[in-house]
Amino acid sequence: PDIVSDPLVDNYPQRIECPEDNDFMAAFDKMISENIQERMKETVKPPRVDISVPMNLKSSSSKKGYDQLLMEPKESTEEKTMNFVLMVRKGNKQQFKNLEVPIDSELALNLKNREEAERAE
Amino acid sequence: MCNICKKWFCNGRGNTSGSHIVNHLVRAKHKEVTLHKDGSLGETVLECYSCGVRNVFVLGFIPAKADSVVVLLCRQPCAAQNSLKDMNWDQEQWKPLIADRCFLSWLVKNPSERDQTRARQITAQQINKLEELWKENTEATYQDLEKPGVDEDPQQVLLRYEDGYQYQNIFGPLVKLEADYDKRLKESQTQDNIEVRWDVGLNKKTIAYFTLAKTDGDMKLMHGDELRLRYLGELHKPWSGVGHVIKIPDNFGEEVGIELKSSSGAPTDCVSNFVVDFIWKSTSFDRMQQALRKFAVDEHSVSSYIYRRLLGHEVEEILFRCNLPKHFSAPKLPDLNRSQVYAVKQALQRPLSLIQGPPGTGKTVTSASIVYHLVKQSGGSVLVCAPSNTAVDQLTEKIHLTGLKVVRLCAKSREAIDSPVSFLALHNQIRNMDSNTELQKLQQLKDETGELSSVDEKRYRMLKKSAERELLEAADVICCTCVGAGDPRLLRQKFQSILIDESMQATEPECMVPVVLGAKQLILVGDHCQLGPVVMCKKAARAGLSQSLFERLVVLGIKPFRLEVQYRMHPELSKFPSNFFYEGSLQNGVSDDDRRLKGIDFPWPQPDKPMFFYVTQGQEEIAGSGTSYLNRTEASNVEKITTRFLKAGMKPEQIGIITPYEGQRAYLVQYMQYQGSLHAKLYQEIEVASVDAFQGREKDLIIMSCVRSNEHQGIGFLNDPRRLNVALTRSKYGNIIVGNPKILSKQPLWNNLLNFYKENKVLVEGPLNNLKESLIQFAKPKKLVN
Ligand SMILES: [Zn+2]
Ligand SMILES: [Zn+2]
Ligand SMILES: [Zn+2]
Repeated sequence: PDIVSDPLVDNYPQRIECPEDNDFMAAFDKMISENIQERMKETVKPPRVDISVPMNLKSSSSKKGYDQLLMEPKESTEEKTMNFVLMVRKGNKQQFKNLEVPIDSELALNLKNREEAERAE
Repeated sequence: MCNICKKWFCNGRGNTSGSHIVNHLVRAKHKEVTLHKDGSLGETVLECYSCGVRNVFVLGFIPAKADSVVVLLCRQPCAAQNSLKDMNWDQEQWKPLIADRCFLSWLVKNPSERDQTRARQITAQQINKLEELWKENTEATYQDLEKPGVDEDPQQVLLRYEDGYQYQNIFGPLVKLEADYDKRLKESQTQDNIEVRWDVGLNKKTIAYFTLAKTDGDMKLMHGDELRLRYLGELHKPWSGVGHVIKIPDNFGEEVGIELKSSSGAPTDCVSNFVVDFIWKSTSFDRMQQALRKFAVDEHSVSSYIYRRLLGHEVEEILFRCNLPKHFSAPKLPDLNRSQVYAVKQALQRPLSLIQGPPGTGKTVTSASIVYHLVKQSGGSVLVCAPSNTAVDQLTEKIHLTGLKVVRLCAKSREAIDSPVSFLALHNQIRNMDSNTELQKLQQLKDETGELSSVDEKRYRMLKKSAERELLEAADVICCTCVGAGDPRLLRQKFQSILIDESMQATEPECMVPVVLGAKQLILVGDHCQLGPVVMCKKAARAGLSQSLFERLVVLGIKPFRLEVQYRMHPELSKFPSNFFYEGSLQNGVSDDDRRLKGIDFPWPQPDKPMFFYVTQGQEEIAGSGTSYLNRTEASNVEKITTRFLKAGMKPEQIGIITPYEGQRAYLVQYMQYQGSLHAKLYQEIEVASVDAFQGREKDLIIMSCVRSNEHQGIGFLNDPRRLNVALTRSKYGNIIVGNPKILSKQPLWNNLLNFYKENKVLVEGPLNNLKESLIQFAKPKKLVN
């Protein structure tokens, strides 16, 4: 009972503790903090790019509520997902890509919570 | 796909703690990624929507406030700009792309369970080796791993050695590994597009100031390091010059300063288009190798007793027949207590002794007293060393007080660096020798004109050399770093008595540099319950180079004489370290009253206990990603506590802030200066540093920001009892820890500490004015991994 087990990964190959992997974790931590730190130091001004949520999306699919966005799992083994839209830029053009987000992800839960809060008002 | 080397990796963890793509990016220091065309998003380069930066380690996404739209943005500055709010993005919800060392699974699909179990499992060791191979040959494959010669781990250090040859054969290759690592690191750090600000020092030498981009985290620039500055621009003919570092980035500025060895031809009217190279110096490694060789072949390098003791052979203990002094305290130094007298007495009679000095127990005074009596006893000169210059200076100062003739020998590259004992430095003593008028004249001429004619120069060098010899031979005590003991100027001298302070911070070969100068009586002072030596090459560290000689001798059964009375900490502060690290043997030489902060009003939760654990559960902890190495909530709490103390009348130099991660350090420094309610200058003067930087030193008040430990394991800061010991024993009057008990309590060590705070009713939460006992539940501790 001392070892915390994660049911999701129990069937996957288990992590094997070794110095190389510990080194990796330490290097990872360092990489993250250094890169963030560097960005903070650089004091680059954010460029003036229009990143407002586009109107056409607002009116269409994205205005659907949480329930409408829910997708039925394709196979019985798969978990439920929700449809999100990822906004990307190719040169100067906006593009929108569909994104299936698991319903237990923070993103999906947030949306749900917000809707519930709105309904409660 | 990694954009740099164009190789594909999956987002599965296999049996490692991060996904394969993240493993690669981290180990190869690559940062850009393209998604595969068969993935749900199709071929996509991951970049910030706003500024286009492609560094995946700073990228994350934010959702729209009311819609199911998300956008990729970098954390700084794009996700932090204020205008986002107006555009209906939910700025607070920024989440990093990489969580728990994998790309978010809905962005980069994880291999299915079936695929993962079926795939060939590659271990972290193999990944590591493959990455190493790729550095030499980008085409290397998994199959190449099995070829011979790829994987040769160095021989492990032993507890006992047959003879000096075996000793050298094991340590020599480890020193070489560390040297190679250091060389590769330094030589890969060239930076271009450097802007230079020129200045002239008091000694009329040219100084160049510039700011370096953040270097690889392993690289610590130190005073005395050499850098080469090159001019590539068109306003002046190409130029290059070497100088040593006289200023490093600190709270007062990020600039680096180097003093040029020769200013001739330096393009001091140009400011941009410079390149900086790091110069690797083999000196210290060469000296260690020389010492190992000497230990093996030269029977006069140490006495035969010491030789056999160091190798771990069984030897009958012997005592010197000597006239012990009546009083063991030395002139002008504080009187010794019982355990200190005992240690001095034992050390004087024995050819080899270990003295363990827990924090604040008067290690330096004890060492200085031993040195004093050694000189009085033998009449010969005593060699005194420590791994770091700071430690050498501290001890030099104390020994000088006793009235002995002390010479502090500095590396040539450090002569310009000021210290409290500069006047004892050999190069300065020579300047002040009135007996040698000819040398003085030449020196004056050299100082004024910068150069001497070749005839004069020759004469000057000869005179200087003999003056140096004269001073060194006349000295009672010579103080230098361990590596400094390999200085050619000491080669002709023999030292029968050698004392090494802070010896647990030196690697074994480093310790051997002074030892082989003739040791018949060797005294190692240290504390194996505090931090050990820093070894950068992991291979060498794992083979045992990071174990100190002090530690090995303790394991061999040589019992250290322990100093038992501590004069630093408030008795309440010494309780836990004493019980946990020193079997409860630490006694207090100071009382509660001596350590009461008089006139400083602070709402301690227990008025008679100047300590508390401030329960802080930061936002980032919930995010569950690497970004938690930067904890804003903790930073803001540290600032609040600091401000409160400053307002109460405490001076900035009385306060020290300890934090394990460089990220948090830099963030805290910035945060306090910009967000603190008092003048930025006040915060600037507060030292914020890692535990390691505080070893051997003390502050009146210590505030520690733990940031957080990793969910999966224990590495580094939190898992090393020695580091925790050092962190807890720096403060004289007060100790405050800011952290999250829920996560820290998983570590057995911290679980103990947290329970101690709880039992003392100083585990608290709430606003500073109204601190209340926290009822937070601790996690069950995991078993210690290491
Ligand atoms: Zn790559
Ligand atoms: Zn893989
Ligand atoms: Zn950006």
